[in-house]
Amino acid sequence: MAADLIAGFSSMFTPYNMLLIVTGVAMGLVFGSIPGLTATMAVAICLPITFTMDPGSGMALLMGLYIGGVSGGLIPAILLKLPGTPSSISSTFDGYPMAQKGEAGKAFGLAFVFSFLGGILSITALILISPPLAEFALRFGPIEYFAITMFALTLISSLSEGSIVKGMLSALLGISLAMVGSAPIDSFPRFTFGMGQLDAGFNLLPALIGLFAVGEILNISERKISPLTKGNTPPPKMKGFGFSLSEFFSQGWNYLRSSLMGVGIGILPGIGGGTANIIAYATAKNQSRYPEKFGTGIPDGVVASESSNNAAIGGALVPLMALGIPGDTVTAMLLGGLVIHGIQPGPLFFTNDTDIVYGIFAALIIANIAMFLFLSMGIRLFVKILSIPKHILLPIILVLCAVGAFAENNRLFDIWALLFFGILGYLFLKGKFPIAPAILGFILGPIAEENLRRGLQLTQENFWPFLTEPIAAVFWIIALLSVVLKGWKNYHQKKSLGGT
Amino acid sequence: MKVNKWRFFMVLAVAGMIAFMAGCGGDTAEDTGGSSAESEDNSTDSEDAEANDSSYPEESIEVVVPAGAGGDTDRNTRTLTQHLEGELGVDLVVQNVEGSGGSTGSSEILNADPDGYRVLAYHDGALINKLLGLTDYEVNDFEVAGISVLDQGNSFLVSGESEFNSLEDMVKYAEENPGELAVATETGSFTHLQLLALQEEAGVEFNIVDAGGASDKITALLGGQVDVVPTQIGLVGEYIESGEMKSLGVMAEERLEQFPEVPTFTEQGYDVQFDKIFFWAFPPETPENIVNTFSEAMETVVTENEEYREEINGHVVSPEYMGPEEASEFIAETQKRYQEIYENSEQ
Repeated sequence: MAADLIAGFSSMFTPYNMLLIVTGVAMGLVFGSIPGLTATMAVAICLPITFTMDPGSGMALLMGLYIGGVSGGLIPAILLKLPGTPSSISSTFDGYPMAQKGEAGKAFGLAFVFSFLGGILSITALILISPPLAEFALRFGPIEYFAITMFALTLISSLSEGSIVKGMLSALLGISLAMVGSAPIDSFPRFTFGMGQLDAGFNLLPALIGLFAVGEILNISERKISPLTKGNTPPPKMKGFGFSLSEFFSQGWNYLRSSLMGVGIGILPGIGGGTANIIAYATAKNQSRYPEKFGTGIPDGVVASESSNNAAIGGALVPLMALGIPGDTVTAMLLGGLVIHGIQPGPLFFTNDTDIVYGIFAALIIANIAMFLFLSMGIRLFVKILSIPKHILLPIILVLCAVGAFAENNRLFDIWALLFFGILGYLFLKGKFPIAPAILGFILGPIAEENLRRGLQLTQENFWPFLTEPIAAVFWIIALLSVVLKGWKNYHQKKSLGGT
Repeated sequence: MKVNKWRFFMVLAVAGMIAFMAGCGGDTAEDTGGSSAESEDNSTDSEDAEANDSSYPEESIEVVVPAGAGGDTDRNTRTLTQHLEGELGVDLVVQNVEGSGGSTGSSEILNADPDGYRVLAYHDGALINKLLGLTDYEVNDFEVAGISVLDQGNSFLVSGESEFNSLEDMVKYAEENPGELAVATETGSFTHLQLLALQEEAGVEFNIVDAGGASDKITALLGGQVDVVPTQIGLVGEYIESGEMKSLGVMAEERLEQFPEVPTFTEQGYDVQFDKIFFWAFPPETPENIVNTFSEAMETVVTENEEYREEINGHVVSPEYMGPEEASEFIAETQKRYQEIYENSEQ
């Protein structure tokens, strides 16, 4: 294996391949950092270009794009509270407040370092234990998926600032909006009001950037701030990565847990990096000794989000490399990129195409390092974005959001959807409804519904196995415990507050 | 005053966004106009047609694939477009427009300008969409340019450890345990129709369960959640080689060159035969000469370009060319056949 890995590195250490990786990372970072443009899009655009390259070089470029695209999202998330990609939703929760406190440099430092470490941990897992991990992922059928989505939905309570009722309403609205369009399985159109455009439902991207970015921009635009000042953010202080060694080590367990969750969720085809960061964040908050500080700008939140989303990359590649099964849209395209060269990943991929497999591993590691270097060098530049007057910056972002919404599927309808979700996001902010539960509901609702229906087909309409299958049962118990514990805590808090 | 300036920029931004939408929406806006003022559109079309007589194509052609990048529809399309570019002398830009079983993408072409610069590349899914009522138009409502690929590798797969070694074993089990054998499909897809046809032919009843697209079905089989998976044999070549999966047969007329040891369904006594059709279609009313120019370029690549033929054979599908008329007839026949299978299963 070591020899294979060395061979992999030497195949990547050609000037051409290195250039491809570095270009890929740079382009990925740009795509990731612009709200509306995502890693998926970067890969989709470059996929046809790789058809003319040899498979190793093609993969080098695509891996660079993938890593860059997922990582770039942290920049606008921290600076502007706009998640650049679904993977960085929860980086806004603590990253932005940190930037507001003048700790943008520290937030970035944490985000880069832990993105890098999360990525490296998951790549190590990918190289060393792909086959057993993939075997484990195979044990997740519809019944298990249903249980895991139900568990993830219980985390909504942790994501609701203040009112849990508002959080649940927000999640329900997210689930309902995701139901518009063709039903899973029978593709029967519902809630479309006879509008053909709604048959395909709402895409995640317009919903995400609408709710988070456009809503926020509308909200800022009504504030009576002087447009010509540089905003009210204090200038960030910066020194090294902005955090001390003891701060670094105090995040050890948080990092490990979040990365492992990232790998674990990444492995499961269909759930992927968009949810990994939210789930890892909510778990970090639940397990913390000071959950009330989450959302006010503490390192723990940034670390949880950024280590889990990069760890999800390695996770998502596990079923692709070990079984030839893509876990999300990006890996589906990577698969396409291999297939067009006549390489069909499957159980024999490791033995038949050793050079390509280890070339991919090497490319991933190099891309991770390149990502880290780019971000570290760019840190001062990114922070400068804050000094661009908002009346110039935000309109540009708004237009980019529209471009991104359109470009994903080349449909004008998606821009209207973006506008709709933007207004919705604005109303959420006005009514102090938390947005994260809505997006979690939007992502998980359809997965839950589809797997419930598939599971019922398998069990011939019997719900009992949903509760008794061992893996599913474990998730139900965790879900139940987390709800009960939360209720218990709230009850005690209220009691002690009432007492004083 | 300062606030006004702020507002001014917001208005500017919105204006920018609308300008962008209008720019991109040019096509769509004209489409809706086209249906209300058809006569007007037609007159400009005939003018276009005359002007286009020998000059088509002058600019790049957009190819709409109503399926995701990296899938087999996308793969087959891109393999052909690479070589078509050489024949037509312009770029062919593939756009993936996913959604509602492919009907989002095909509707887009149905309503596009019939100028020959937007073309649909799709497969049997379009026939089945009509069957299930997902669309209210037929493939022959388009100007079909032809068929480029026939996929004859439609196969039934079981786990390597399965007790089934032939189609007969499987049918026998289903006879003894009606409604018990879990067979995966994507509801309303091509494989669903294959299952309905086999149920009818063998007089058995499976437990047909939805497991999603090609890779989801493979996952379900490997994970042991289902017993049988119908899918394209080329996608699981490695699994067959490694012994983790067995093929119970292919629904082709003859055995496949690439898998000579796999028998056909017909050989095993079940008259079930399906070829997946990959066709190309222009919006209705596209001038005949444009359709023909495109179709002739297709013919040259599919029948003469050895490089293309080799590539496409590597995907375990066959390069087959049918021109506009032949293809339309073939599609109409297939549509009728599918209709019958579907109606029989409904009873």
